[in-house]
Amino acid sequence: MMSHRGGTSAVSSQVFGRDGARPSNRVWLVTLAIFCAGIMLTLAENNSSRDSDYDYDPPAAGSYNLPVIKPAADGALLDSNNKSVQLRDLTRGRITLLSFIYTRCAAPKACPYATGVLTQIHDLSVDDKALTKSMRLVSLSFDPEYDTPQRLAAYSDNVRDQKSGCEWSFATAKSRAELEKLLAAYDQTVDKRQNPADPQGPLYHTLRVFLIDRESRIRNIYSSGTLDPRLVVADVKTLLLENARVSKQ
Amino acid sequence: MKTPLINRLHTATFSPAIFCAALVCTLVFSANVLRADETCSSPYLARIDGQEEFVYVWTLGVEGMGDGSDKLVTVDVKPGSSSYGKVVSSSSVDGRNEAHHGGFTDDRRQLWLAGLESSRVFIFDVHTDPAKPKLTKTIDNFAETTGGAVGPHGAYALPGRVLIPCLSNAKDKGGKTALVEYGNDGNYITTHWLPTKENARGVSGAEFADGYGYDARVLPRKNALLTSSFTGWKNYTMDFGKLTADPEAMKHFGNTMVMWDFHARQPKKVFQVLGAPLEIRWAWGDKHNYAFTATALGSKLWLVYADDRGEWQAKEVAPISDVKGGVLPVDISISSDDKTLFVDCFGDGKCRVFDVSDPQKPKQIYEKQIGKQVNMVSQSWDGKRLYFTTSLLARWDKQGADNEQFLRGYAWDGKELKPAFDLDFTALKLGRPHHMLFGSTKIGANRTTVASIH
Repeated sequence: MMSHRGGTSAVSSQVFGRDGARPSNRVWLVTLAIFCAGIMLTLAENNSSRDSDYDYDPPAAGSYNLPVIKPAADGALLDSNNKSVQLRDLTRGRITLLSFIYTRCAAPKACPYATGVLTQIHDLSVDDKALTKSMRLVSLSFDPEYDTPQRLAAYSDNVRDQKSGCEWSFATAKSRAELEKLLAAYDQTVDKRQNPADPQGPLYHTLRVFLIDRESRIRNIYSSGTLDPRLVVADVKTLLLENARVSKQ
Repeated sequence: MKTPLINRLHTATFSPAIFCAALVCTLVFSANVLRADETCSSPYLARIDGQEEFVYVWTLGVEGMGDGSDKLVTVDVKPGSSSYGKVVSSSSVDGRNEAHHGGFTDDRRQLWLAGLESSRVFIFDVHTDPAKPKLTKTIDNFAETTGGAVGPHGAYALPGRVLIPCLSNAKDKGGKTALVEYGNDGNYITTHWLPTKENARGVSGAEFADGYGYDARVLPRKNALLTSSFTGWKNYTMDFGKLTADPEAMKHFGNTMVMWDFHARQPKKVFQVLGAPLEIRWAWGDKHNYAFTATALGSKLWLVYADDRGEWQAKEVAPISDVKGGVLPVDISISSDDKTLFVDCFGDGKCRVFDVSDPQKPKQIYEKQIGKQVNMVSQSWDGKRLYFTTSLLARWDKQGADNEQFLRGYAWDGKELKPAFDLDFTALKLGRPHHMLFGSTKIGANRTTVASIH
């Protein structure tokens, strides 16, 4: 699928399906659903102030601790360049935000919202050297049959505002067996909806974004209601400060 | 900050007509998601699409009754079902643990059930066959693992993990206690001790800090975690008559609530709330920055609310009956429109219903005798169905003929409660029914995926 910077190819991949056919009723519903997400995302646009969804001042980075939840599991992936890669290679050495997604998702505040938040954080990293060199974003599709490397590349082109900024990888599992192992390890539930033409997309899933430290340990798990860009950045900087303290010792 | 992704993707197709349609779409999705579900569970919990199909009842075993063990009893509440109002499965755990409360993981695939006396936590798979939950794991090293917290009170879904508020500690079995976090995989994460005068951690209202715990509930959009307080292991395992006759023991009840920075898990302010504030119910409206609680020993409704300056405050807002000595209010349930509060009173077995449209001035509008004793109440999201159980604690339940043990379903039409079904847990040799949770084969999107309809 061709991509057009600033255009609608990511939406096209969701709306027009595999063959790029004309939109159906379902297509319009999907479009509307994404609009709903867009409206809600707009509410969370300004990461420096409160809004109705996140009506509080976030805690200062380094003023709290993030306990280790568990080791971040490894798995064999195929990235958007059609290259085999291990997930561990994408999480080691930098603080990683790992977002499980599928590009056909049109559920309000699910994948479109999560990717929107990652876009905001990626934008922030452009002018923040610490984030640029110490953070990495990974969007991992659990819909490998549909989200081919080509589609992920197109999706990537559309969601990245900036060429610069921190690394942002797009990948999917190398095989269905690898996917099942990854989903189990990350407690990422994915079910097929009874209606494959459901306007919110064919899959039902919990929203999961993981914060992984440099030692490949999960330090936070975000979902709707906690995926506030201000909190995520505070968490990343809390881990950076933790690293700095450890280095001094 | 750059233009958000979604806006950018759709700039070319924006029109007022589509904008309006999008709003309609949001409301349609919201309506689907919000159609029915319990009103007292975690906002991070995956929701049931439509009406609940099962009521799960965490039931205390009674020596000499049936197998004598605690058990998870599943009752069919599907309208029109041939087994409506009947037990469809029962799964016993090992022995008696003072079965108390429980909760689902955020994906609603597991039901965690806690034992107050043994400090064991039982994890059931309710996803594979919601009609027949299966025990998959038991946490039986809780005190050792958590650094000395005991008396796990329940389980509250957070993203990818559960929050377990506790009632006591292993050191002196008193009321000083902690909040504990476990991953959805059943592995321990961390422990947060409640603030005390000795270890106030800079909290406001430190002079009141007693370190006691009971309930813990989050209002996500305010990053607010609120906790309440009850009593420790020594008291809740004591015979009720003996306890009330012991002036020293009666001094050891919680008189506080604590507001925390939820994300940082740091206590910020301690409120003095006299008389054991128990269940916490945050309002659901997107501008309703308040929660109710009822004090068991004080027989009062309290409101914790953000004042005009955004500061959290606590105040007593209504008495619960004028019966001398109180009626021991135990469980409360708020309607999804925040207008009605159901208050179960163990002392006289009545459910009292308050109009809380003005949260500062609750007014009792109805009461119903549910039984000789009543403890928990669970309400469907649409407010049309309420379920009641009877057991408070094994050693605190009433004696003799007053010791009724049942699950009763009622229909609520906004004016009165009308009986729907009655299950006698004693006659069925099941035990003492306590906490209820709703199950279904149809689990929908998370509550927090949609804007509030209020």
